[in-house]
Amino acid sequence: MFHLDIKSRLPIYEQLVKRFKELIINEVMKADDQLPSVRILANDTAINPNTIQKAYRELERQGYIYSLPGKGSFVAAVAIHKNKEKLEKLKEELSKMLSEAIYLGMSSKEIAEMIDEIESKIKGV
Amino acid sequence: MINIKGVSKSFDENKALDNVCMNIKKGSIYGLVGANGAGKTTLIKTLTGVYKQDKGSVRIAGEEVYENTRIKDRLIYIPDMLYYPTMYTVKDMARFYKGVYSTWSQERFERLGEVFKLSMNKRINSMSKGMQRQVAFWLGLSAMPDYLILDEPMDGLDPIIRQKIKSIIVQDVAERQMTVIISSHNLRELEDICDHVGILHAGELMTEKDLDDLKSDIHKLQIAFKEGVPDKLIEELDIVYSEKRGSLGLYIIRGEREKIEKSIKKHNPAVFDMLPLTLEEIFIYEMGDLGYDIKNIIL
Repeated sequence: MFHLDIKSRLPIYEQLVKRFKELIINEVMKADDQLPSVRILANDTAINPNTIQKAYRELERQGYIYSLPGKGSFVAAVAIHKNKEKLEKLKEELSKMLSEAIYLGMSSKEIAEMIDEIESKIKGV
Repeated sequence: MINIKGVSKSFDENKALDNVCMNIKKGSIYGLVGANGAGKTTLIKTLTGVYKQDKGSVRIAGEEVYENTRIKDRLIYIPDMLYYPTMYTVKDMARFYKGVYSTWSQERFERLGEVFKLSMNKRINSMSKGMQRQVAFWLGLSAMPDYLILDEPMDGLDPIIRQKIKSIIVQDVAERQMTVIISSHNLRELEDICDHVGILHAGELMTEKDLDDLKSDIHKLQIAFKEGVPDKLIEELDIVYSEKRGSLGLYIIRGEREKIEKSIKKHNPAVFDMLPLTLEEIFIYEMGDLGYDIKNIIL
């Protein structure tokens, strides 16, 4: 289930956190789904169990998962949280793309027209 | 729990270890790195009770290690140079280990036999270097140790066997809280498996840190400004290393990621890339700080 990019410069625990967040935000893992236990994930991926533990702690701190003593870790049901994170990311990507478009000569009027067009398309369906 | 406190060790005039202090938590995988001759092997041999330290204490689970059979029963040490008695086969060695280690698991030994796929009846000394190393892991891991101490362990092993061994070690850490110490030059490999790292230099332990903390404390940046780098910015940052490539500046900067990002973005950079460093790069820059440099070597 996990293929970490061993060439990535990101610390492994950050990669794990990111990957789990992706799965949760995109609802591949749904609320109250159980996360694999540290032991099983360590066996499957040969990742240091302490690193996995750390990633789980971080996810719990950020409110993505909750843990039940003796039972394991589960996905938390906090939709607002998820959307906020997703929006932040989209905003960042949009601003990058828009600055490129403006640099290449697109006017704000054209951009606004595009937005109107997309909006009417979504609402029309 | 392994505690090393104020340990020094000399060979004649040569001071190999100088007041080394080290703490390794139970269930941790600890990477020991250092330049050639930094004292890694001496430290490991002191830790395993092969050498007696001149000063200080080496304690495992609260007990002095030297000449302590109770601790050694729980400890497997795989040295960088292996030794097997001349005519011994794997089977003979297994019998020997069974007699020495009270926790020897015959079942584990047989199961690991399927992993390593080596003949039990072949003389070990007639095997290749890599196969002999596999035998060391096969025997060592069958003894179900609480402490596994490895000196350059992956030397001569092929990638598939490496992965298999790593996965078995990680399982033992997860299931039995085994503590592992690995010394290696292959920092890429340590980076994948360790949670703590200690850097040894000229017999002294320079740093001992959580690997993730070590990595999140130092960053590689590529920045360019339209009007050159503002002087104020340079004052604000803790720059370890800088280099100019055309109008692009390459910097190694110490500090928190968010803080660095904030102070740079204030000055409107035209290009701004921030990357975490690999362990190899951290090692090179830390050693550069200590005067153990690579860039001055021009042949």
